[in-house]
Amino acid sequence: MREEAIKQDIEQRYEACLVTVPREKRIGISLPKDSLFSLIAFIKDEGFRHLSLITCVDWIEEDEFELVYHLASYEDGIHAIVKTRIDRADPVYLSIIPLFEHAQTYEREIHEMFGVDFTGNDRLTPFLLTNWEEIPPMRKDFDTKEYSERMFEHE
Amino acid sequence: MDRADIKKALKDPHKWGEKYSLWVTYFCTGCGIIEIPPVITSRWDAERFGVIPMATPRQANLFLITGYVSVKTLGYIVTTYDQMPDPKYAVAFGSCPIDGGLYYTSYNTINHLDRYIPIDGWIAGCMPRPEAIFIAVTKLWKMIDGEMVDGYKRYKENIDYYRKNQERVLGKKFIESIPSSLPVTVET
Repeated sequence: MREEAIKQDIEQRYEACLVTVPREKRIGISLPKDSLFSLIAFIKDEGFRHLSLITCVDWIEEDEFELVYHLASYEDGIHAIVKTRIDRADPVYLSIIPLFEHAQTYEREIHEMFGVDFTGNDRLTPFLLTNWEEIPPMRKDFDTKEYSERMFEHE
Repeated sequence: MDRADIKKALKDPHKWGEKYSLWVTYFCTGCGIIEIPPVITSRWDAERFGVIPMATPRQANLFLITGYVSVKTLGYIVTTYDQMPDPKYAVAFGSCPIDGGLYYTSYNTINHLDRYIPIDGWIAGCMPRPEAIFIAVTKLWKMIDGEMVDGYKRYKENIDYYRKNQERVLGKKFIESIPSSLPVTVET
């Protein structure tokens, strides 16, 4: 199976990396933040040339942000989900623009919605929100009901 | 049209023309727009009532806001409403523009549309049926007959109130970007 071959390949190269194959055509990889850039560069050469999405998850109780990179391979039809965790108090991470240019827009959105800074991305300007002065809205400690009532229920 | 109607029409031809040629700007903000294609095409055929979709707000006199209004679209709604010529009528379709509806707690969806532009009629429901649009149109006829549709007049009278609320949500930049040539403050 191609998934298992890729899994063994990754496990040999990256020791602190947890690779799972939850089902056919699917690989989940979680790893510490230092080796993520080189892992993405590695699996890009393995055929994962399509970056479909970058998302972020706010794990407020563990005080961490989880960055999730979705990559897909055209040759094997495999979907790889690469996860890493960064510190919530100091959310700075490396931009992957050198590998995938279109990551700029995803990183820009995560910067606006979660407040994560990406070093190497020079276009972290206001994007979707209008007239925003609060903390980023997708963070778990942002009280959206309180904001809605304060902003739209005034008088 | 029978004879009695001719007399009525000749008494106030302006009102008669207003009533039976409601040209609509459909503002496709949310899910409500899915009810519009059956309304304007052959199944319900809104043209029986003189209601036709219009490409530009400058030639329209009915403003139909279908569905929830996010903060970003609110800016375009205000711009579009300002551009429409008098007399203009605004009807909000669905429960979201009334009080936020499903999106009450959302950080980027406004809750009461009538605080930003004047609304002449509401169609409640989630979703209202296409028939509800015709009920609204016939009610609007009665209101035009009785001169009860005064949204555009209220807008001019209370322009400070509306601009204040718009500024609160959309920011100072938006208010400054409105061209001063728009006739909203001119009373004729």
